[in-house]
Amino acid sequence: SISEDDVEDILFELELGLLEADVAMDVSSVVVESVKNDLVGQKIKRSSDIEEYIYEALKKAVSNIIDIEGKSMTELLEEKVSQGEPLIVMLVGINGTGKTTTIGKLSNYYIKKGYTPVIAASDTFRAGAIEQIAYHADKLGVKLIKHEKGSDPAAIAFDAVQHAKAKGKELVLIDTAGRMQTNTNLMDEMKKIRRVSKPDLVVFVGDALTGNDATEQARKFNEAIDIDGVILTKADADSKGGAALSVGYIIKKPILFLGMGQSYDDIKEYDADWMLEQIFS
Amino acid sequence: MSMLGSLGENLTNTMKKLAGMSVIDKKVVKEVVKDIQRALIQSDVNIQLVLKLSKTIENRALNEEPPKGITPREHVITIIYEEMVNLLGSEAKELEINKKPFKILFLGLQGSGKTTTIGKLCKYLQRKGFSPAVVCTDTWRPAAYEQLKQLTEEMQIQLYGDPENKDALDLAEKGLKQFKNQKIIIFDTAGRHKNEDDLIEEMNKLDKIIEPDESILVIDGTIGQQAGEQAKAFSQATDIGSIIISKLDGTAKGGGALSAVAETGAPIKFIGTGERIDEFEAFDPERFISRLLGM
Ligand SMILES: Nc1nc2c(ncn2[C@@H]2O[C@H](COP(=O)(O)OP(=O)(O)OP(=O)(O)O)[C@@H](O)[C@H]2O)c(=O)[nH]1
Ligand SMILES: Nc1nc2c(ncn2[C@@H]2O[C@H](COP(=O)(O)OP(=O)(O)OP(=O)(O)O)[C@@H](O)[C@H]2O)c(=O)[nH]1
Ligand SMILES: [K+]
Ligand SMILES: [Mg+2]
Ligand SMILES: [Mg+2]
Repeated sequence: SISEDDVEDILFELELGLLEADVAMDVSSVVVESVKNDLVGQKIKRSSDIEEYIYEALKKAVSNIIDIEGKSMTELLEEKVSQGEPLIVMLVGINGTGKTTTIGKLSNYYIKKGYTPVIAASDTFRAGAIEQIAYHADKLGVKLIKHEKGSDPAAIAFDAVQHAKAKGKELVLIDTAGRMQTNTNLMDEMKKIRRVSKPDLVVFVGDALTGNDATEQARKFNEAIDIDGVILTKADADSKGGAALSVGYIIKKPILFLGMGQSYDDIKEYDADWMLEQIFS
Repeated sequence: MSMLGSLGENLTNTMKKLAGMSVIDKKVVKEVVKDIQRALIQSDVNIQLVLKLSKTIENRALNEEPPKGITPREHVITIIYEEMVNLLGSEAKELEINKKPFKILFLGLQGSGKTTTIGKLCKYLQRKGFSPAVVCTDTWRPAAYEQLKQLTEEMQIQLYGDPENKDALDLAEKGLKQFKNQKIIIFDTAGRHKNEDDLIEEMNKLDKIIEPDESILVIDGTIGQQAGEQAKAFSQATDIGSIIISKLDGTAKGGGALSAVAETGAPIKFIGTGERIDEFEAFDPERFISRLLGM
């Protein structure tokens, strides 16, 4: 049977591999520990089989983290629409992860499925933010609810929801300003947007290139605002996708989409098998 | 040295075990090295770099005779500090504006903070008595020009750009012409990554047209193990002269930037500590090393 000594070296290699794929250190340790517990004491026929056993145990441990049951955004949208209500989606995350671009992509994606979105320009803070989202709305022919720079983002989100309800639009996409999870004022402002607009789906938008900070971001946003799902952007930038594991482990909610480039069509529904392959490639 | 003092005090309890020892204990050194390893990996320093560094520290600590009058503990701390400083490469010199026009090219991954940092650098240069001009060559990001316009107009900085023009090379040429009598010209570029061949090719060409006197790579403080590979692709397109780390106001430690230093040989000159234009500081190696070591 397998002893701890038998697997020590392999487990160390494994841990390094996870770390190099940008899985946060605390999450890597959890995965390796779980693999170890799975293996030690197991009876195997030949010692040369160990690697195969490890690989299977690893795959299982990782799947447990990144393959989380839950409804897709499309399913949620269909449900809401059948009740005659819009699906209200709010995108949050730290600075520059791709929230605004993702709203353009999601609009395009659901327009193609026959739905009519409305966008709330609730980033009233960053230079050029309103103009940026206005460009997307214009290009895609989507109604944009906006006020002037510096105005109350919660009020804009509220107006967008009212607009969708009055006009029978099916999807509300709320763009929020990027914020550091350590910035208490801005985290409070985000909570207010949530209170006022009552989103059905709060989506954490994370950058696939993020390193160890991914867990801290996920933890703090989740504590502040209860995340319902995750979108990982810039997955085209050759990342190994470890951030998916870090964020998934903390939030324990499904990953909805992956951002795969800068154009509207560069988005795909999340696929756990694809992600596993990335991590183990 | 203040740094040595705080290293000794803060590095964890294992460090304390070194205190009062007259000869260096192999086991304790290994423990200390392991602590350093953990801290650096959690700070996003490249894994291979960390493994190499910890081996060097261990070897030196076990094999080098401490100088006379130095305790084993001080000896180990000095070695750690020296090796960390080594990772930072050559010392950062102040931006020296020694030519007219002095052309600065900003580059980096999508969303890393280039445009915001240009606003910050403009403010910094204004305080030093310069009035830089800015050229927008980002034809990708919607409202890239608007963003720069809003950032620069408060400071009354001259800006060239044309949202209708989708040719970055043409924009660079026209900007150069328009500002040829200015003392400093700063070029903003679209974000890009190493797998976007067209954009990397565009960066090559921009470099040839602009012939920058200083190319500045902006590294997102939250980036992980990809930092080195990405920096390498940028350094093949232009000669990187300095690095700025953005977003150090959060909880990320910014160790990814060390891989960029290793790949480009360029020093870190400034850090960004917030979204506002004045949240910008000269790089402080001691503070950065403390941050990386989790102190
Ligand atoms: N390669 C790539 N780039 C992306 C992707 N998603 C977004 N980007 C780029 O990342 C940059 C930042 O995107 P934004 O949508 O402005 O990010 P944001 O989160 O809204 O930023 P803030 O509002 O400033 O916090 C832009 O240059 C986008 O084109 C992606 O999936 N792949
Ligand atoms: N908290 C914080 N945010 C920052 C810092 N520097 C930049 N940002 C924010 O990061 C986001 C992206 O900044 P940009 O300046 O648009 O980045 P960019 O590299 O020009 O982006 P692209 O042109 O799309 O590639 C914005 O929300 C900025 O306000 C910083 O030091 N701290
Ligand atoms: K951005
Ligand atoms: Mg945005
Ligand atoms: Mg920019």
